[in-house]
Order: sequence, then C-alpha cells, then structure tokens
Amino acid sequence: MGERVYGFNGVSPSAGKPGRKRYAMVIDLRRCTGCNACTASCKTAYDVPLGESRIWLMEAEVGEFPNTKRNVLPRLCNQCDQPSCIRNCPTKATFKHPDGFVLQRYNRCIGCRTCMVACPYNARHFLPEHRRDPRNPRNVADKCDFCIVRVTRGLAPICVDSCTGGAMIFGDMNDPESEVSRVFLENKTFTLRPEQGNAPQVFYIGLNEQIADPEFAFHHRSAQLHARYNTFKRNSEVGGEMAGNIIDTDMGFFGLVRQALRNYKTFFKDAPHKIFRGLF
Amino acid sequence: MEGQIIANGFHHAYWGFPIATYFWLVGASAGSFVISTLGWVFGVKKYKPTAFFASNMAIALLMIVPLILIIDLGKPFRFFHLLMLPSFSHWSAPMIWGSCFILSYPVGMMFYSYFVYKKNEKWARILGILAVVLALCTHWYTGVVIQLNPSRLPNHASVAPILFLTGAYVSGIGLLNILLWIRNRFVGPKSQVSSGLIADMARLMLYGIVFDLFLLWNEFLQMTYGLGEEHTMLYDVLLGPFRWPYFYLEIIWGLVIPLIILIIPKINRQLFWVLLASFMCATGVYGMRIWWVMASFYYQGHY
Ligand code: SF4
Ligand code: SF4
Repeated sequence: MGERVYGFNGVSPSAGKPGRKRYAMVIDLRRCTGCNACTASCKTAYDVPLGESRIWLMEAEVGEFPNTKRNVLPRLCNQCDQPSCIRNCPTKATFKHPDGFVLQRYNRCIGCRTCMVACPYNARHFLPEHRRDPRNPRNVADKCDFCIVRVTRGLAPICVDSCTGGAMIFGDMNDPESEVSRVFLENKTFTLRPEQGNAPQVFYIGLNEQIADPEFAFHHRSAQLHARYNTFKRNSEVGGEMAGNIIDTDMGFFGLVRQALRNYKTFFKDAPHKIFRGLF
Repeated sequence: MEGQIIANGFHHAYWGFPIATYFWLVGASAGSFVISTLGWVFGVKKYKPTAFFASNMAIALLMIVPLILIIDLGKPFRFFHLLMLPSFSHWSAPMIWGSCFILSYPVGMMFYSYFVYKKNEKWARILGILAVVLALCTHWYTGVVIQLNPSRLPNHASVAPILFLTGAYVSGIGLLNILLWIRNRFVGPKSQVSSGLIADMARLMLYGIVFDLFLLWNEFLQMTYGLGEEHTMLYDVLLGPFRWPYFYLEIIWGLVIPLIILIIPKINRQLFWVLLASFMCATGVYGMRIWWVMASFYYQGHY
C-alpha cells in the first residue's frame, strides 16, 4: 500500500499515475429499478447495525396522476477526492487510500462524530455499543469503504455484484479500456451536491435534479414518512448516537424539556458502558 | 421516499444536548474570566473585588467541561489521541486546536488566580493577558468547530465565532452576578460585593446584549435574502420546531426582556431586577447553544 493521504488538494492521489488504480463508480439511474438489493446485500455482508446503512435508496414521486414518475437514487459514500470528513477528523482515523478508497481505522477513532457532521452526504454512521457479533468494532464511526476487501481480491463491490438492473458500474478510471471509463466518457454524468466542492467519485447518469436537492427531499417527504421517522427516533434505543434527534412534532416548551431529558438519559445510561466495557 | 423505511436510510443527529451544555459552560467560563481580568489587567479598579471569585468560578466551570466532552466520545479512554501531536492528531481539524486551548487555558487561569490571591500586580497582569487570550480562543474554537462544516447551512456563517463570543460574554456576566449574590449571603460584610458593583456589571452585560441583538439581526437579514434552505430556517425559528430554543428562549427571554429591564432607569440599579435580568441572560444563551448545535442536523437529516 502506498502512503496514506490526509491532504486536501482536490486531486485524486492516483489520477493518471501509471501502475496505480483510481477506483470510481458510475450509477446509471435509467437502469435502476429501486429494488434495494444493494442495500440488503451490503447490510448482510458488513453487519451494518439496525437503523444505519452504508448504501441506501432515496425515492421521490413527482408529478400529478397520471403523469407521475418515481425517482430512485442509490446513495453511498462518494469516496470524495476532497473529503471534508478527513479534513475535520482530529485523529487521522479516516484517510484516503492512494487507490481512491476513503477508509476508516477503528482502532484510532475516538468516536467524536466530527466526520459525520462534516460529511455533506450523510454517508457516515456510528456503530452502537451492542453488535450482533461482539468482536466487531463498537462506538466508533464507520462508512462505506468501496468493499476494499473484495476489490483488492479481484471482485466487484457487493452492491455492484448484486445490482439486479446492472445499473452500477465500478472500475479503474486510470484504465481507458475499463467499462467504467468508457461509460463515463460516453455519457453525461452528474455528482451530488457539487457546490460542496468535495469532488465525489460516484457519478450518476440521468440524475434528476429534484431528488438530488436536499431541500426538495426535505419538503417532499410524505406525512406518513414524516410520522414514521419521528416514531423511529422516539423509540430507538440503540445508544448515545441517537442523542439529540429532534422529534419535530414535539418541539413545544415541554417537548424541548422532554427531549433534553431523553437525551441526557441516553448519555448517562451509555457512560458506564463506554467507560468500563469499551475500554480499548 | 417510503423506500427509506425499508432501507433504514435515516440519519441521526450526532451531537446533542450534552454538547450544547458544554458550549454553554465554556462560554460562561470565558465570559466570567474576561470580567475577572478587568480589574487586574485592564486597570478598571472598581472590578478588582470580583477578580478572584470570577477567576475561580471560571476554573470550576472548566473542570466540568472536559468530563462532558470525554464521556460524550464513543471511546472515552482514547481522548489522548487528540493530544499526540503530530503523529496521531490531524492539524487541519479544528478540534485539535481546541484541545490545545482547553488544556492550556485552565493552567493559565490557575496561575493568574494564584497571583491575584498573592496580590502580585506584575505577574497577575502578565498571566491575565495570556489567560484572557486563551479564554477567547477556547470559546472561539467552539464556534469554529461547527462553523467549518460547509454543508451544515445554518452553521456555516463567518459570524458564528463572534456570536459565540458575545453569548459567552453575556452568559458569563449573568452567571457571575447570580453567584456573587449567593456568595454574599455566606461571607462576612467585609468581603461582600456591593450591589452597586453588581449593577455596574449588568451595565457591561447590557452592551453585550445590544451587540448580540445586532448580530442576530444580521442573521435574520441573511435568512430572508437567502436560498431555499435559509427560508426553511426562517420559518422554523419563528413558527416551526426551533421556535422555543431560538425565538422564545434566546431572543425574547434571554435578550429582549433583559434589555428592557436594564434600560429602564428606575429599576436598572435595583438588585432584584438586575439579578432577574442576569438570570434570564444566562439561561437564554443556552437556547442559542441548542439551536446552533442541533439545527444543522435537522435540515440535512432528511437528505
Ligand atoms: S461522501 Fe462523506 S464520508 Fe464519503 S468521502 Fe465524501 S465526505 Fe467522506
Ligand atoms: S468519529 Fe472517528 S473518524 Fe470520525 S472524526 Fe472522530 S475520530 Fe475521526
């Protein structure tokens, strides 16, 4: 492995370098059926805790009947070339691999969650105290790693492998003959939130501006989803990372007090676990 | 978007009330320390009696702060990773700058307190200057930590550190006034702080309140002329989920009512009203901390 990159110069560390890979992904939204196979396979493969995902789908229905359309958007860590998560991580726990992966070192992460605050794509999540397999890391940040364990062994990432519509194309951008380079050059591609300047390495074909806009996503959730979202937050008991979740139908004065108490309850309930059990 | 239910694509707020409390405590500490140095560093003689108490109060507040921060980490025993420059820590992260400040600031304050206690003018002055700079930096960095996240729109404003410092100044004086009054009931008449001095400090607080309102006014202006997300913010702070912490607690309870109390000439030197205004200011700033920490998670959470 080459040197780890913590820098912030906006250039892929391996771009155009002979003998180096520059892994990237193109997602052809015209072919995505919204089947969630990527979500399910990734969750199974990596023991992603309940309530979190490394790859997930956003869906939005636009238009009036009968002229309606359902837009789907698979979302994952964009393995940015200019990643704000790395810039803001205080302990070098997350770094850019010269081949393009943005990776996480569990043994160095202190669980401060600064990287999650910094990521514009909400691509990071927190690993709770209780894991299905107790040997797995706990109380640290985690993210999609482009399946580095599979890719370095010559396999495609598991979401790409399981994609039923063949919408995801993964490969080495340094190789002009690779499928991903050809698809990238032959089609008009878009990235999410380009104004954030993160230089994402996941490119979309046929990206609908309505679903790509966080403001649109914020306003166009249905009332049912909104209610379920709040119920989820109210009942989730996963751990301290839930603290501070705002149940926005309960934001009167007493609601605010309730939420503060609920948050402190989790804080104090988690503290002994974190201090005595999760020592190292 | 119902697919998000199946996919569990929910995003959580990562920092919560403990971090808001931490910001509030650091702010109150910095604010009261600034008052403490007025007499010994800046030569305003009449504030000298408060210096020792204010400085000790700042130290006491700063003893609680690292506890909250460290317990809030996922791995509390790894906090030393923050201090291992340069192999472990990452210089570009604002949290590293803050760790350096938070460590050196109490030490500076303790030396200052010692020299004030010994009535050593020269060294109290030198260490006071050093510690007051560190106090400002410690609180400046809390603003910067959440300012330097370009995607979190409500926070990504260059006014953030100034707003934080103003809030710190106001809440520090407010808390100090309350605690001085409580102290007066336990100490002999010779070391009591006169109510005239408390009223003078409330006058200092008044300047902070006016400046804070001015900054908030600019924030409002930016929201009204902003893009989509800023309009959502404007709605939410006035009528939506954040009306309590931001509008009622911070602006009305924490700034406007104390402002009115402190500019009415009949009552602005009466102990009861001054203490009431101080209490309102100190608690109102907590609303600002809640809004600044949590609002950004709310907006991006659905993306
Ligand atoms: S998408 Fe987020 S987590 Fe992934 S590299 Fe970019 S900033 Fe980091
Ligand atoms: S949670 Fe871990 S990876 Fe994220 S910023 Fe903190 S130390 Fe770095």
